[in-house]
Amino acid sequence: MNARVMISVDGVTKRFSSETAVVEDVSFSVNEGETLVLLGTSGSGKTTTLRMINRLLEPSGGRISIDGRDVHSQSPEALRRGIGYVLQDKGLFPHYTVSENIGVVPRLLGWDQKRTNERTRELLEKLKLPAAEFGGAYPARLSGGQQQRVGLARALAANQPVLLMDEPFGALDPITRAEVRKDFKSLDEVRNRTVILVTHDVYEACLLGDRICLMHEGHVAQWGTPAELLFHPASDWIREFFDGDRLTLELSVTKLSDIGMQGEGSVLEALEAALTDPEGKPGELMDAFKHR
Amino acid sequence: MQDQQPGFLSFVQQQYPKLLQQTLVHIGLTFSSLFIAMAVGITLGIWISRRRRLAGPVLGIAGVFQTIPSIALLGFLIPVLGIGAKPAIAALFLYALLPIIRNTYTGLTGIDPSIMEAARGMGMSQRQIMTRVQLPLAMPVIIAGIRTATVINVGVATLAAYIAAGGLGEFIFGGIALNNTNMILAGAIPAALLALLLDWLISLVQHLRLPALRRVLWIGPLLILVLSSFYVLPSLHGSRLTAGFTPEFMGRQDGYLGLRKVYDLHIGTLVINDNLMYNAVAEKKLDVISGSSTDGRVRAFNLAILSDDKGIFPPYYAAPILREAVIQRYPTLPDVLNMLSGRINDSIMTELNYRVDFLKQTPEAVAEAFLRSCGLYRPAGSGMGGTIVVGSKIFGDGYILANMYKYLIEGYTDLRVVTKTGLGGTIICFNALRAGEIDLYPEYTGTGLLVILHAPGRILDSLGHRPENVYRYVQEAFHTQYGISWLKPIGFNNTYALMMRKDESDALNIRSISDLSAYMKK
Repeated sequence: MNARVMISVDGVTKRFSSETAVVEDVSFSVNEGETLVLLGTSGSGKTTTLRMINRLLEPSGGRISIDGRDVHSQSPEALRRGIGYVLQDKGLFPHYTVSENIGVVPRLLGWDQKRTNERTRELLEKLKLPAAEFGGAYPARLSGGQQQRVGLARALAANQPVLLMDEPFGALDPITRAEVRKDFKSLDEVRNRTVILVTHDVYEACLLGDRICLMHEGHVAQWGTPAELLFHPASDWIREFFDGDRLTLELSVTKLSDIGMQGEGSVLEALEAALTDPEGKPGELMDAFKHR
Repeated sequence: MQDQQPGFLSFVQQQYPKLLQQTLVHIGLTFSSLFIAMAVGITLGIWISRRRRLAGPVLGIAGVFQTIPSIALLGFLIPVLGIGAKPAIAALFLYALLPIIRNTYTGLTGIDPSIMEAARGMGMSQRQIMTRVQLPLAMPVIIAGIRTATVINVGVATLAAYIAAGGLGEFIFGGIALNNTNMILAGAIPAALLALLLDWLISLVQHLRLPALRRVLWIGPLLILVLSSFYVLPSLHGSRLTAGFTPEFMGRQDGYLGLRKVYDLHIGTLVINDNLMYNAVAEKKLDVISGSSTDGRVRAFNLAILSDDKGIFPPYYAAPILREAVIQRYPTLPDVLNMLSGRINDSIMTELNYRVDFLKQTPEAVAEAFLRSCGLYRPAGSGMGGTIVVGSKIFGDGYILANMYKYLIEGYTDLRVVTKTGLGGTIICFNALRAGEIDLYPEYTGTGLLVILHAPGRILDSLGHRPENVYRYVQEAFHTQYGISWLKPIGFNNTYALMMRKDESDALNIRSISDLSAYMKK
């Protein structure tokens, strides 16, 4: 794989007024097309770190660059128009229709109406929100899951290469969350983008992240692939952080190929499929996983 | 009085053109001031929503305007803006400002932070966030502020009649002054309906859903501009001098109607409040006013009183009145009170009022100094002989006279005096006297004749405005009807008088109302 660094965060620090740093000396990088999850408890500095990337907050020190360009080399508005941004909830404009919400950034970028409309339509179809039914609706009429899909479509509309997501599934109920997450994961639009996603949900982090940057009290605790963090934690604190759902997490980060079996996807996915299939043999899978 | 008033509907029918014109002027005043208040208020609201430190001071100052009594605010504005439309619109503008600024500020700052964050995160500039997100979302709150301001303005616009700016207040204040219920209602009912109607219409806009609101919003300012244009300045073309008369004077036989009939006076006339007209004439915004002959401002502003050479104004000679039961109990009292009789003429009373109103001396000090100058002052006696309660009405003459009587009674008898000055008006004073709450107060012959006795027209004609006839009539009638005695007149006549600035009166050589009438015909 010819990895090219898309986003680089280097020694970034953030202080509000003269207080102690909320984020201190944080460094990581994200390769093009990969998804990095900023994981941590509340107050760990993960959201603050995310907001410095599109300059909703200005760092007190350090350097952030996207595609090799310092984020301070252009105006914040121009920078943000080039970055997709998904908020936790309530981020849609209540006075705009679904189509108008999705078309916000293309309009800011000066796309013509026809191109914007086509793009909006395309995204709505991909997100299972038929344009005929939802395009002219106002956000208040949509369910939480539908609103979050629209929020995602809005962040993808202008084909921005980078996508920042701040707890995008956090406000949804568990069933809806699983659905939206699944759709997000399988969306071809997302596959070639560089994504930074903030969450406090370890399962979500392991499921969606190519790499995880685990943050604790404003510092990076460990940065690596989910498997590295699970199987080779750098400290006891990190081990304990994952202990609650360890089995599920380990099943989810272990690929079938890792345990010498045929097929794609994780052991967990295969298990879930086997459990719902009357012919399935979950026992074999578990044995193979344990022998690994 | 009552039987002379036609029914309400026939009054409206008679006055229909005037009513329509007043209503249009009223709407025009309301909306022209509202339009300016919206432009300034929304701008200021946007400004302080971005500089929150300034929100407190700006809202505070706008709040202070709201607390200034309307008549006082109009008074402040006359020297700067004169009379008529300009000060009226300026005052209404100041009253409408607070609700609009406050609601704009509240609306803009009350938007969900995550929506603001989304707008920034999408890459909107500050200006785009304001025009595309904040203002549309704050619009229902801003419209609620405009709605409040509109209702306030419809109410306050009635006061425009005080400064010759017209509107439904002309009927309301005229009706109050003339005790004409139909006239009051002809102004008050349309004003109330107008307030309710506008409140309802704006509430419809306010509760429109956001998308529908977006479509109708541009109509609002346009409509307001059209409504503003209803205001046509009360025209004064062709008049060499301008008169400002009180609403009461305008409707009286012994006022404007008499001037037209007896003197054949034709002069451009504005309706104005009695407290503001002196300022207005002094500031050269008016040339002739219907003043009160002993008001201190006649002297303060150097005004000349035009003589009533054909005698249309009834005599208002002041004299103390007291219950006859009090005289029986203290038989020496009338002699003591009559010591003041013939001592105070019009110009002396004007001078005394001037000292109180403009030199800010206390009524007590002015009364004492005057009695000393006449050699009437004596230090108080024992005060052991009983208590006399002296009342007075709420304006200048009354305060000073009540104190003079206090000094005289205490100096020449062993009675103690309690003063109850500042009793609201004629009816309050008179009822207090009859009920024994007070023992005496100074009253005017004309007031006794017209306000208390309600003398019918044939009696008035037979009395012919002759001071001694009127005095004798009220003395007799009060004695038989109420057991109240009129003592000797003090000497001054506090009646209506037409007055002009002295320099203008000299320059044009206008000394009497006949001179004025002749000048206007030239």
